[in-house]
Amino acid sequence: MVIFWGLRDLLHHHIDTRPPETARFFVAGAVINDGFFIPVVLLLGIALARVVPGRWRAYVQAGLIIAGCLALFTYPEVRDYAHILHNPTSLPYNYTEHLLAVILVVWIGIAALAVVRTRPSRAKRRGGR
Amino acid sequence: MSAVSVLEQRAPRINKALHHYTTDPDLPLGQHAYQSPLRDERLAAWLGAALGILFTVCFLTGLFDHIQQHPLTWLPVPRRPLWLFRVTQGVHVACGIALMPVLIAKLWLVWPRLVSLPPFRKVADVVERVGLFALVGGGIFMVFTGIANIAQWYPWRFSFEASHYAVAWITMGGLIAHLGAKWTITRRSLRRRSRRPGLAEAAVGAGGPLVAEGQHDGLTRRGFLVTVGSASGILTLTTVGQTLRLFRRLAVLAPRAPGSGPQGHPVNRSAANAGVLASSASPDYRLTVAGRVLTPLSLSLDDLASFPSHEATLPIACVEGWSYTARWRGIRLRDLLHAAGAPADAAVHVISLEQHSPYSVSYVNHFQAHDIDTLLATHLDGKVLDPDHGYPLRLIGPDRPGVTQTKWVTSVVVL
Repeated sequence: MVIFWGLRDLLHHHIDTRPPETARFFVAGAVINDGFFIPVVLLLGIALARVVPGRWRAYVQAGLIIAGCLALFTYPEVRDYAHILHNPTSLPYNYTEHLLAVILVVWIGIAALAVVRTRPSRAKRRGGR
Repeated sequence: MSAVSVLEQRAPRINKALHHYTTDPDLPLGQHAYQSPLRDERLAAWLGAALGILFTVCFLTGLFDHIQQHPLTWLPVPRRPLWLFRVTQGVHVACGIALMPVLIAKLWLVWPRLVSLPPFRKVADVVERVGLFALVGGGIFMVFTGIANIAQWYPWRFSFEASHYAVAWITMGGLIAHLGAKWTITRRSLRRRSRRPGLAEAAVGAGGPLVAEGQHDGLTRRGFLVTVGSASGILTLTTVGQTLRLFRRLAVLAPRAPGSGPQGHPVNRSAANAGVLASSASPDYRLTVAGRVLTPLSLSLDDLASFPSHEATLPIACVEGWSYTARWRGIRLRDLLHAAGAPADAAVHVISLEQHSPYSVSYVNHFQAHDIDTLLATHLDGKVLDPDHGYPLRLIGPDRPGVTQTKWVTSVVVL
């Protein structure tokens, strides 16, 4: 019922929604995700498992997941697609620099966590003396 | 002889590959080629619950935005609190951004279900697949178009507002159907304590031994949830400052910088882009008040200066999620309506000099038209309005979306 309400709205305001165009983006999103994006992520995971030693793998996975999400979100900002609107208040930063800076901070945080968590504990060190 | 049997005999390698890369829909998520310990029902339930909450919040706040932009005569929108739309739209955009990592994680986790063989065994499976298509396609469409919109990227020819709204209903319908199909499993998965077989237990799954939590390389289930939550959190922290002053300095990935722009505030549309630079500065500029009035008015800027001016501190809240609060000074709309002899219950259309825009005309209901804080502003933060902020006159009222705070006002028509 709710789905049909949405379809009704899409068709009723067809001049604005342009149903074939909307449907194209709707279907393309699902197809690109299921047919390309997720399989690429799966392959990256397999490659990661072969290249990265086991004790560091969780940290590398975490870093890549977070960096990947940040990169995806900022893609239109980094590409500065809004510049054609000639609105100087839109996308006012250097988003490439900012993205790299945030990713660097994330990796530093993950590296620090990795060092702390993989360090032998004090008790074990005392016992080893 | 069945197709499977034929394949087994004639193309054993293809049959083996098919068996390895497809999944049985009646077996758990982690099977065959998809052995990651993260492919876990409980993890899917947690991500699904988070998505359900985020999508529902986005839907409800989006519905409020829609009603604000397309007012229903039988449901007047509230004028107080002043900051209501600012909050709801800020929450809408923030939740939409936070949703992205959670959606990607869930889609990755359940992807093996896409390559199930057979794809359906009964009619209920077909219905479920249709609902899932609405949910997956709709979810991706909503997040993609929402994020593209706030970055002012429009790689499509449909109206963002119209299609985003229509597909929101389709997505919610898919969500409700999916919730119905998975309710029992989700409740069971969220309630029970996670089975974490120890090293001694050798439970065997469809594709081999189940891996004990923490006894495998790579992220644990908890680590995965924390990572996804962190991605959402970092995206939120680095963008929400475009509306929440407290996080302004951290908003390094926000599409708008608070404090930037003419008179220290961003705009969505400049006077040049609207094509009103000449007409707004013309010495022949007039504000007309017409329609259901006793005395139609045609007022020059000097005439307008003779009206008493008032101040109001009000937010401008853009539908893209950014907002700011400013001091506005101008003429009360109700004073103009009174001077023209408009009825006390009159609603109005406020019309801009900008033509060929869906926002050239905005509707002001009779509550808002007679509100003491609804002004035709001439000044912003003590200075004459910049052309990009709507010189010579801009409508500003409490709890209205930014697109309905009409700039370059040239006419008020009493309905």
